Amino acid sequence: MSAFLKVENLSKRYGDHQAIDNISFEIEEKKLFVLLGPSGCGKTTTLRCIGGLEKPDTGIISIRDETISNNEEQIFVAAEKRGMGMVAQSYAIWPHMSVFENIAFPLRMSKFDKNLLASRVEEALDMVQLKGLGTRNATDLSGGQQQRVALARAIVGRPKLLLFDEPLSNLDAKLREQMRYLLKEIQTEIGITAVYVTHDQSEAMGLGDELIVMNNGRIEQSDQAKSLYNNPKTKFVGEFIGTANMIEGRITQKESNSCKITLNNKNSEQIIKARLSRNTDSEQGMLLFRPEWISIQKGKKDNQENSIDGVVRTYQYLGDRSELIIETEFADIKASVTDDEDYIVGDKVTIKINENKAIVF
Amino acid sequence: MTLSTQNTNINSIVRNISIERSLFWITAALMLVAILYPASMAIKAAFFENDIFTLAGFERILQLDTIASDIWNTLIFSAGSMFGATIIGVSLAWVNARTDVPGVKAIEVFCVIPFFMSAFVGAIAWRLLFVPNAGMISMFLTKHGFPEFLLPDIYSLGSMIFIQSVFYSPFMYLYAVASFRQMDPTLEEIARIHGAGNWNTLRKITLSVNGPALLSGMILVFVMSVGTLEVPMALGSAGGNYVLSTRIWALMNNMPQDVTAASALGMIAILIAAIGIIIQRKLLGNRKFTTVTGKGYKSKKISLGRWKWIVFALAITYIIFAVIMPIVTLILVALQKFWTGSFSMQFFTWANFNTVLFEYDVTARAIKNSLFACSVAATISVIFALILSQIRSRNAEAFMGLLVLLPIVIPGAVFGMMVLFAFVKTPIYNTIFIIIFAYVIAYFYLAYRTIYSVRLSIHPELEQSARIHGASWFQSTRRILTPLLKPGIVSAWLMSFILFIREFSSVMFLYRHGTEVMPVVFFMLMERHSARLAAFMVIQTAILLLIMIVYQRFTSKNATGAAF
Repeated sequence: MSAFLKVENLSKRYGDHQAIDNISFEIEEKKLFVLLGPSGCGKTTTLRCIGGLEKPDTGIISIRDETISNNEEQIFVAAEKRGMGMVAQSYAIWPHMSVFENIAFPLRMSKFDKNLLASRVEEALDMVQLKGLGTRNATDLSGGQQQRVALARAIVGRPKLLLFDEPLSNLDAKLREQMRYLLKEIQTEIGITAVYVTHDQSEAMGLGDELIVMNNGRIEQSDQAKSLYNNPKTKFVGEFIGTANMIEGRITQKESNSCKITLNNKNSEQIIKARLSRNTDSEQGMLLFRPEWISIQKGKKDNQENSIDGVVRTYQYLGDRSELIIETEFADIKASVTDDEDYIVGDKVTIKINENKAIVF
Repeated sequence: MTLSTQNTNINSIVRNISIERSLFWITAALMLVAILYPASMAIKAAFFENDIFTLAGFERILQLDTIASDIWNTLIFSAGSMFGATIIGVSLAWVNARTDVPGVKAIEVFCVIPFFMSAFVGAIAWRLLFVPNAGMISMFLTKHGFPEFLLPDIYSLGSMIFIQSVFYSPFMYLYAVASFRQMDPTLEEIARIHGAGNWNTLRKITLSVNGPALLSGMILVFVMSVGTLEVPMALGSAGGNYVLSTRIWALMNNMPQDVTAASALGMIAILIAAIGIIIQRKLLGNRKFTTVTGKGYKSKKISLGRWKWIVFALAITYIIFAVIMPIVTLILVALQKFWTGSFSMQFFTWANFNTVLFEYDVTARAIKNSLFACSVAATISVIFALILSQIRSRNAEAFMGLLVLLPIVIPGAVFGMMVLFAFVKTPIYNTIFIIIFAYVIAYFYLAYRTIYSVRLSIHPELEQSARIHGASWFQSTRRILTPLLKPGIVSAWLMSFILFIREFSSVMFLYRHGTEVMPVVFFMLMERHSARLAAFMVIQTAILLLIMIVYQRFTSKNATGAAF
């Protein structure tokens, strides 16, 4: 399948700040594509460039091989002519219009057949589960309802591309989860392509068919959620997605896909076997492993392979799993286990790191 | 031990709150009487002659041949000025707040000057440019073969509306610019994404969302125009275009004086203002759009592209018309021995400044009177505003809302007449304090709103924690509240002072021999000595510009917007 939205060599600079630094990516049709990263990483600027709210400094943006922005050829299709829909963080519900008029706006702008307009708006209202609220004053609605109106407004005109700019971050946790399901449902139901900006990784992983992790205006990794979590390509991605334990060490033995890393300490050293990340050249390495990539054995068991001794510092039983912090000579290690063992603070334990999962950068 | 100390503290807090509360209600009641008593005296004057109820005043004004044209002129003048000021003010505000026009900072400063310079000064300057046979521009044009009949008639109703619009547009500008800046820019961006071009975005989103604020500004310009004597006296009377305010003034000051008829006309002027306000309320309904500001993106300005320089040129044209041309004209005229319609080095002199500052007793006295009255009135306004902004209860706020609204709805000239009636039989009548009284009451809302908005931003916990930590009411007021309120106090004082100095319409009813303030002397010199008048106006403008510079140094832009 060929790419639906294509972004090539996009850059944008504000004064001294390089907001986007030469990024390229492609999106397939009918997929929900997430731009994920910490604030200031350039994800929102990228979205605004796609929407036409921001003019890039360099680069080409095209939809279905039709160029909408190309600096070299001086093409810049205005936002209103790009045929997109957008949901903003602040809802951006127009306070002087009813719910109905808010949603009807894109249709009126595109000179939609007046006889069919009302039924189209009703259909959109129905989709976001706000049936019958059309006559209400938009600002009388709750935050969650306003966000649904914003969603209905964005989809009512069947846009080519749907843009989401952190749409859920102003909602409370419970509403956010509800909206997440609704959003995904609607997006797949009407089969629309969407770009979704967020800094919330669980939102990103839950929604995204494909994700891009951005940092400092660059793309760190573009992948599916599972790969981002299990096979982070950079230290930043490993740390940003999910929880990670990181310990510095010296790489002592390299093979094509795996390596041995020696963790040093004043008194002792420990060799851990792990996967080797592709771009590691130097001697110094960083061992990264997730809390659930380890198993715990009670008692001190010296010199076992891939193991570190430690003492339980905190222990929380959370029903489906237990979370511990284990103090070791090298670092405090977070662990998450699903065994039914009881731990007491002060217990001596040995943790074994899964060599097929842990990664050295 | 600890417990008992806390107890005494809480007791003293309770006691002091009641002190604040009584201080509030006493001051508020005084203010209310200060408004209602003059109003009731005016009503009495309109309906009673020698303590007998009569409609004779209304009968007499209905018999005047001019009554229909006076009312018609008032309506056309006020409505025309309202729309003119709105078009100019809102355009400038939009350009400055929302577009990437070059030189925004400089344009902004100039945009508010005309209002403070006063429309009377502006009208006189324009008159000096366009008066038939002696205007600087009209003479220049006719000398170079420009057909005389094509020259604008400076005394016409159209010219009056034009000048009034130009000099009252800063009022609309301040209203609009504050509203535009508070608006979440995403409201516009989302409209654009969903297919609205620049024009539709402006019309359906920007102007509509800010509609309530703009409407409030418009109605104020309308009421101010109904009650103003400035442009109608500077241009209208000479051209025979009377409006209600100038007719009222004539009935009060020309022989034979007819107080009852003047008061009856005043009632009609109030009625027109009230109808305007009712229409506004109807249009507004219950809407008061609160615009949720999203965090995140800084308002991105609209790129004007190649229109940039055209818009810039238009803004500069406004500044030339409203600020530069009037000031340059006045300076040129002031530097002439006598005014012949064109500047000539032959008649160059500094003497006019010397005369109005030191030799001519009326002008010298007026400067002293103005500075004295305006400082005292500004100080009183600030003190009252401080007292009245301390209480935050629903009753108090509703009451204050009404209190500050009342003087605004009374047209300026009518207000001047009311104050005159209220004090005519008291010793205050012959003193400058009657003018001070009028200043304070007419513009109190400004000082109040400025200080109130700063007060609102000071969280009560700041004072409470000072009290909990052992400060007395006086100490916490002095050490916590006063320093925090200081920017508000300074800006309220300066803003009040500026507005008082230029106030024309009400003081025209209130001065006596010896209590003339500067605008009154403008009027006295108007038909007598253009060059001295110009010199005197230059002096007032210089004082005002000086204070405006101080004002802008002391306060942020936000405080200006909040005041209106």
